[in-house]
Amino acid sequence: MKKMAIGLYAAITVALMVWGYYQAIYVAPDEQTMHEAQRIFYYHVPSAMVAFLFFAVSLLGSIGFLSFRRSRPGWAQASDAWALAGAEVGVVFCTVVLITGPLWGRRAWGIWWTWDARLTTTLVLWLIYVSYLLLRRFAAGPQVQTLAAVLGIFGALDVPIVYMSNRWWRTQHPSPVFGGDSDSGIKDPTMLHAFGWNVLAWLAWGVLILALRYHVERESQKNLDREAMEALGERSTA
Amino acid sequence: MDQRAILDHQFVVAAYFITWVIQLGYVAFLGLKWRAQKRNAIRSGRAAR
Repeated sequence: MKKMAIGLYAAITVALMVWGYYQAIYVAPDEQTMHEAQRIFYYHVPSAMVAFLFFAVSLLGSIGFLSFRRSRPGWAQASDAWALAGAEVGVVFCTVVLITGPLWGRRAWGIWWTWDARLTTTLVLWLIYVSYLLLRRFAAGPQVQTLAAVLGIFGALDVPIVYMSNRWWRTQHPSPVFGGDSDSGIKDPTMLHAFGWNVLAWLAWGVLILALRYHVERESQKNLDREAMEALGERSTA
Repeated sequence: MDQRAILDHQFVVAAYFITWVIQLGYVAFLGLKWRAQKRNAIRSGRAAR
C-alpha cells in the first residue's frame, strides 16, 4: 500500500514536471524585453522558492535536535535526519539557482555575475550550507550533530536576508515576483499560470527527493546504532 | 532567426539541461547511497547471527 502511494506520488510528480515544461516552453508567451531568455525564470525562481523552504525544514530539524537531544533521543535523531535532508536538498536547489541565474544574467545584462546584494547573499547562503554538509561529512565525535545544528540555525538566518535583499537595497537583480511594488511581478496571466505550474512541479519533485534523503539518513542512523550495539556486545563477551 | 534569438534559445536549453543534470545526478547519488546502506544492514545482520 505504501509502495503504491509512493509510486502514485512519483507518477503525479513526473506528470507535473512534463506539464510545467510544456507550459514554460510552449504556452507562456515571449517576454517583451528579454524575449526567450526569460523562460529560464520558470526554473530559476521555483528552485529558489523550494531551496528556501528546505532550508526552513533544516532550521526546524536543527531546533528539534537541540530541543530533544537529552529528553527524547529518538525524536532528536529523526529531527537531525530532517535537518540534514533539508540542508542537502536545499543546497541542490540553491546550486540550480546559482547556475541558471548567471545564464539568464549573461543574456539580460551582458555579464555572468555582479556583486549585488541578492546575488552575494545567495552565494553566502550556499557557502554556509555547503560548509554545514562538509562539517557533517568530515568531522567526527559526539558533538558533530550539535555543532551542525547550531550552524544550521545560523545559516537559516541568511534566508530572510536573501529574500529581503532586493527590497532593502538597490540591486541589479529584478524586483520581487511577489510582494514588490505595483510595477513588479508577473502581469501576463499565461505567464503566471506557467510559473504556478512550475512552482508546483518543483515543489512536488523537491518533496520526493527530500523524503528519499530523509529515509536514507534514517537507514544510516539505524546501521550506525546496530554497529555500535554489536561493538558493545563484542566488548562485553571479550 | 537572428543571432540574438539563437543565443537566447541556446541559453534556455543550457539552463534547463544543467538543471536536470544536477537534479538527476543527485537522485542517482541518493540511489547509490541507499543501496550502500541496505548492503550495510544485510552485512551487520549476518554478522549479528
